[in-house]
Amino acid sequence: MKIAVVGKGGAGKTTTSAVLARTLARSGHRVVALDCDTNPNLGLSLGVGLEPTEALLSLRDGVGDEVEHARTWDEIVDRFGTDAPDGVRLALVSKIEDPDFGCP
Amino acid sequence: MGEPNEQVREQISAARIYRRFRLLGDAAWQSVAVRVAFVGKGGAGKSVIAGTFCRLLARTTSHRVVAIDSDPLPGLALSLGVPSTDTALPPELVEKVGDDPDSTWQLRSGITVMDTVEQYAPEGPDGVRLLQFGKLRGHVRTVGPSQQAFRVIVRDLAGTDLHLIGDLPGGTRQAFFGWAGFAQVLVVVAEATPSSMLSARRLARLADVDDGTQMVVALANKTVGPDDAEQLGRFSGLRVIGTIPHDPAVGAAEREGVPLLDVGTSSPAVEAVASLVETLTRETL
Repeated sequence: MKIAVVGKGGAGKTTTSAVLARTLARSGHRVVALDCDTNPNLGLSLGVGLEPTEALLSLRDGVGDEVEHARTWDEIVDRFGTDAPDGVRLALVSKIEDPDFGCP
Repeated sequence: MGEPNEQVREQISAARIYRRFRLLGDAAWQSVAVRVAFVGKGGAGKSVIAGTFCRLLARTTSHRVVAIDSDPLPGLALSLGVPSTDTALPPELVEKVGDDPDSTWQLRSGITVMDTVEQYAPEGPDGVRLLQFGKLRGHVRTVGPSQQAFRVIVRDLAGTDLHLIGDLPGGTRQAFFGWAGFAQVLVVVAEATPSSMLSARRLARLADVDDGTQMVVALANKTVGPDDAEQLGRFSGLRVIGTIPHDPAVGAAEREGVPLLDVGTSSPAVEAVASLVETLTRETL
């Protein structure tokens, strides 16, 4: 099952996603929670804690520019994700770390 | 609106706000262009504050106030009381400066930035003009001339004496990619919650890269006690320039889909935004 939670800022996407992920995990599913926000906060709602959430590297950074020896998604989630309560595996898709005034 | 005593209250409130600015000195006040961008996490309250800020500012100045909404979802239009539009700016407003793919854009010759405000930024309550990015309702994969037109207009407006108040989409993306470049002051709106303050701390990095012409400050929103602002300042490392108390009138206005100023003119949040107008004007002077 693949679920995407979308909506306006402040509508409750992150909280809903976190509760969904942990509820599914509690009923025995293997769950990967993907934070697709470039300003990622899902770790806070899952209960990972503030500094571990901030320390996560994004999968996009994990893939890098290496195309020929690209890792599989499973490997990347293993390596760059982190464990959240109830057995949920949390990973970030892409994070914008710093201002980049060169971009349009 | 409609109740006579409410109208009187509104007049008193407007007069009080105006008197505050008289104290700043008319000459100085009339010559200053306030250019502010509100940034922060989604749901922090940027649009409500920005819309209220624009209208209160407009009541105190003869210069035109242009509200800039670069969010592809409607927000600022509602808090100002201006109809939202799906229509993007006409692509023929702009042309490339050179022929190479990396060249920048400019307004087509014969079109002034003031023309674009007259034509494409509709006027709302209190005379505030609203320049909208154009709401995206489908898949838009490329940044076309119409989006470039928006950015060119905003860039050129920064060279005029109009007041520019921007409401950026939630998160760090647009702010980190230079969409608030027109602003002298970046106001990071945040609640005293971990996720909101974490976003504020990330946005505080904007202070590290600017060229010294842009000021980055925090605004504590929906506060329930004096600790909130202090906690935000400590966590984000930003100077907290103001505090907007939690106010049920804000939620009521949002549910009704009307501007905060039109449900309760003397609400605590409105009073706090009036103070913010005064503070930011002083900072600009």
